[in-house]
Order: sequence, then C-alpha cells, then structure tokens
Amino acid sequence: MNRLGIILAVLFIAALLVMGLSLGLGSVALSPGDVWAVVTGGGEPLQRALILELRLPRTLAAFATGGLLAVAGALMQVLLRNPLADPYVLGISGGAAVGALLSMLAGLATVLVSGAAFAGALLSTLLVFGLAHGTGSWTPVRLLLTGVVVAAGWGALISFLLAVSPGAQLPGMLYWLMGDLSHASHPGPALIVLLLAVLLAWPLGRSLNVLARGSLQAAALGVSVRPLEWTVYLLAAALTASAVTLAGTVGFVGLIVPHMLRLVLGNDQRIILPAAALAGGILLTLADTLARTVIAPQQLPVGVITAMLGVPVFLYLLHRSR
Amino acid sequence: MSAIRSVTVPPAPPPWIVAWVVLCLLALPVKVLGEIRVTDDAGREVHLAKPAQRIVSLSPHLTEILFHVGAGEQVVGTVSFSDFPAAAGRLPVVGSAGQLDLERILALEPDLVVAWQSGNPSRQVTRLEQLGLTVYYSEPRRLADLADTLEQLARLTGVPESGAARAEALRQGVRALTAQYAHRPQVPLFYQIWDKPLMTINDEHIIGELIGLCGGHNLFGELPALVPRLGPEAVLAADPEVIVGGGSGEDNRAWVDDWRRWQDLTAVQRDNLFFIPPSLIQRQTPRILEGAALLCEQLEQARQRRPESGR
Repeated sequence: MNRLGIILAVLFIAALLVMGLSLGLGSVALSPGDVWAVVTGGGEPLQRALILELRLPRTLAAFATGGLLAVAGALMQVLLRNPLADPYVLGISGGAAVGALLSMLAGLATVLVSGAAFAGALLSTLLVFGLAHGTGSWTPVRLLLTGVVVAAGWGALISFLLAVSPGAQLPGMLYWLMGDLSHASHPGPALIVLLLAVLLAWPLGRSLNVLARGSLQAAALGVSVRPLEWTVYLLAAALTASAVTLAGTVGFVGLIVPHMLRLVLGNDQRIILPAAALAGGILLTLADTLARTVIAPQQLPVGVITAMLGVPVFLYLLHRSR
Repeated sequence: MSAIRSVTVPPAPPPWIVAWVVLCLLALPVKVLGEIRVTDDAGREVHLAKPAQRIVSLSPHLTEILFHVGAGEQVVGTVSFSDFPAAAGRLPVVGSAGQLDLERILALEPDLVVAWQSGNPSRQVTRLEQLGLTVYYSEPRRLADLADTLEQLARLTGVPESGAARAEALRQGVRALTAQYAHRPQVPLFYQIWDKPLMTINDEHIIGELIGLCGGHNLFGELPALVPRLGPEAVLAADPEVIVGGGSGEDNRAWVDDWRRWQDLTAVQRDNLFFIPPSLIQRQTPRILEGAALLCEQLEQARQRRPESGR
C-alpha cells in the first residue's frame, strides 16, 4: 500500500470514529448501544428522532462544511501563492453574508436565506472574476487585491445591515456570521459537491505542485497556467459557496487545516487535497459536537470551538517544524 | 286548488334513519367539546385533543404567563432567564430563547410548545413542528393582546376559568389607570430601553402604550422603527421633561443617572430621572401592570414638580 493510501485510510477511520462520537454525544445522554440500535434500524421512536432527525443531518453537514472549506483553502493558497489565503479572502463569504442578512431582514424562510446566500456568493465570485480580468494582464496579486477590496466592501455592507436591523433579528444574524450548524438540515448536495470537487482536483494535483513554485516555472514546465488558475478559482469558489450556504461563515478551518496537513505530510497537492477533505470534516465535526455539548443546553456557535481546538494544535505543529 | 291537493307528501324516513341522525347530532357536540381549538398570534389554529400536560415554554415571559394563569405545574421545560416565579427557575432549561437545544425539547416529549414568534429562531421552531410537536406562537404587542394570550393559554392548558379571571383583572387594572391618568396634562418624556447604543421605543411598542395611558407623550413615538437607535444629541435637542429608563439590572440606576452630566436638561433640573425595574415593564407579562402603575405615579410626580402654572 502506498503512502497516500495509508494516510487516507487512517483519516477515513478517524472520520468514521468522529462521526460515531458526534451521533452518540448530545445534550440528551444516549448509550453507544442505543446509537447502534438506531443505526441498524431499531431503537425507540424518541431515540430515532434524536439521532436520525437531529444529530445525523447535523453531523453530515458539519463534515461536509469542514471538508469543503479545507479543500477550498488549500486551493486558494496554491492559487494566490500566499499562506494567508483562506476561502473567504476573495470576498465570497461577504457576498453570501449580505445575501443571507438581507433575506433575514426581510423575514424570509430558511430555504430562501440559503438561496440568497448562494446567490450572493455567486455574485461576488463573478464580480471579482470580471474585475480582476480588467483590461491589463492578469496576475494572482491583482486577483488577490481585487478580492480583498471587494471583501472590504461587503464588510461595510454587513456592518450597515447589522446597524439598521431590529434587535429581534440580531442574534440570528450574528450566529450566521459566526458560523452555525444548527439550521443545517440537508447536507446531501454539499457532500456531493465535496466528492465531485475532490475527484476533479485530484488529477490537477501534479500541475498544482508545479504552479505552487510560481507561474513562470509552471509555464516553462508545460503547464497551461491561465486555464489552470481559472479552474482552481472557480472550483474554490463553488466549494466555498456550498459551505457558507449550508452553515454560514465558519472561520478558521479553511485557513488552518491545509497548513496543518502541509506541516505533517509535506506540500504535495495530490495528498493534501483529498486529505484536507477528510481532515477538515473531522475537525469541524469534532468542534460541532463540542459546541452542542460543552455548556448544554446553551448552544455555542461552532466557530468558537474550531479556533480553540485548532490554535494550540497548529502552534504546536509550527513550533515542532524546522 | 286541486293542483295543490295533488302534491304528494314525501314519505316519512324509516325510524332507524331518524334514530341514527339524532344520535349523530347528539354525539357531535361531545366530540367538539373534547377538542381545544385556539387561534394563535401567527393566525394559525392550534388543536389539542385534551388540555396540555407537558408544556415547554420558549421565553421567560411565556413561562411567567403560564404560571400566572395556574398552569405552572404542567410546564416541564423553560429557557434561560425564566426566573419568575421562583418555581420556574427550578425547571429544566432547554437553551436560551435565541438559540434552542432541540434535543432537550424533543426528549421532554411535550404535548405543547409555547413559542415566542419574534424572539425564537423561526427555523428552529419550524423544525419542531416538522418533528410533530404542537406549537402555539405568541406575540403580544398591545395590552389587549396580553389579556387574550392569558385566556388562550389558559384554555390550552385546561384552566379556562382562572385564565378568564386573570385576563379580566388585567383589563380592569388597565381601565382603572387609564381613567385616572390618561387625561392628565401631557408629560413629554424619553424612555431609554438600552444604553450604548442608546435605544428608545416608539408608540407601536407596548411600553409606548403604557406611556399613553399614563398621560405621557413619547417624544420619539413617531419614529418608524419599533426600537429606534438614537444619538444623545437627539435627546438633548428634544429636551424631555422626564427621562425614564430600565437598566442592565433590577436595581441599577446608572443609565438614567448618567444624564446628570447635562445640567441644562429640564428633566435633570427638576430631578425627573426615573427608574423602573426592567422585569416590570420590559416583559410582556401581567406584571407589566405594576410597571405601568409605577410609571403613572412617576409622571404624576413630574407634574407636581412643574412650576405652578403648568400643573
């Protein structure tokens, strides 16, 4: 078995364990036996409702969101050749947030809030795409600056919306902005997007490895840089849009998980991309399980826990590396 | 004439059909009586086959109302800050009004969930409905709504007589205050509901209604937002005769006392800076009557402090 196979197998088993933990833990205590009974089709009606209606969709949504963001972050960091890049750096989350907050302000239903978030993410992606293209030549720096400025614009709009919104709407809006999985009930599409994206990005891994060394070198080595960069940008945008539509702007995962994996596994995109899908999912599922249970019945936004778990682990890895 | 005589009388129905119809008619009212139907503040009909025995309340004010009408023993879960009456504070907590723990609610197996339409996340409450729970949405905006809420919740919980009596007492109290104070000389006032950012309420708010029945005039009552945010300059420019405020605690006058910095304000010169404990006026519960009485007395004091001519 090659190295990639072993890494993915280990992460896959860890993912299954974390999901099992997430199904078993909650503010209502259930024994592993109860969970097993429900998973195999038995159990009491109440236990079935708790696990199948509440915990399972949320667990899958957390896993999908984490995976999407981690892969998107890994792609953005290669695309922009910038270690500080994360899925939100180009303003996709800002556009989604403005869409979501506007629809919450109008008092629209859940489905429409998600739809508005997706539309906002799409609008922002196309805006940055069009503006960065501009009249002159196209460079990652130009893309980065365009994205950062557009993101700042969205940020101002978000502050404006928060300032004029009635008090009753504010908690929901703040939870959305902090990233919140409590509403995520249909994780299916996001999981499919994640799977498709990894299958699509995997063959690009070799080219991305070259691209990470700089576009000139990549071009000299026979990579068609421009099409590759746009593919990566649109792929990362689609991943990010799916994630924010599902769970709001969960921070941190997209920035840190790819770096953690690089510190441990080395900078080979063929390994990093599939590993990020699993590791991001594991981190967010674990974080969300804690967010639901640490001070239950009070529920924390998942972003709080992600950072608390991730910061010390990341600092340790960074300190250990040479 | 003959034509009329020739009209045949329809044959009488067989006796067994008559008996069956009579039985059905007799059975009908019994069935309707057993079922409880009320229309909630979201305009939906809520049905219960029998009075609710396991109620989860999703806001402190609804918990308080349930206890007030005598259904406190049927409440099996509340949200944080449900601190009145004391017995409510000992019940299991199912999250905060703004973020619910759906698992705990489901595990309590309630036969009625009383939700706060503008305060609970609508997605979470909708989810509870999808999971098969019966939800009553409450949103009392005016004092009259509050009395109706008392009656409806009392009917759903099987204590209709006590609910009707409590509602009547509330209506009576409101009528008494209105008769005594509503026609007294108007007192221009500023009600401070929050500090940093400075917030007030408009006439649509239930506190705006209290101000009206005490003979006050809310200087910011015309603003479009229910809870408008203001700059201190707007208050200085309006120069209220009275400043009334809640506070961040039940006994914290800091917010209203802070206005003493502005010695030119009429309210400061006449010492008309009044404090009302927030739980008496900022919660939509029957205790709001106590808050209203306090407010009316304070405005009356302000009238006494006017120079002779203005009383």
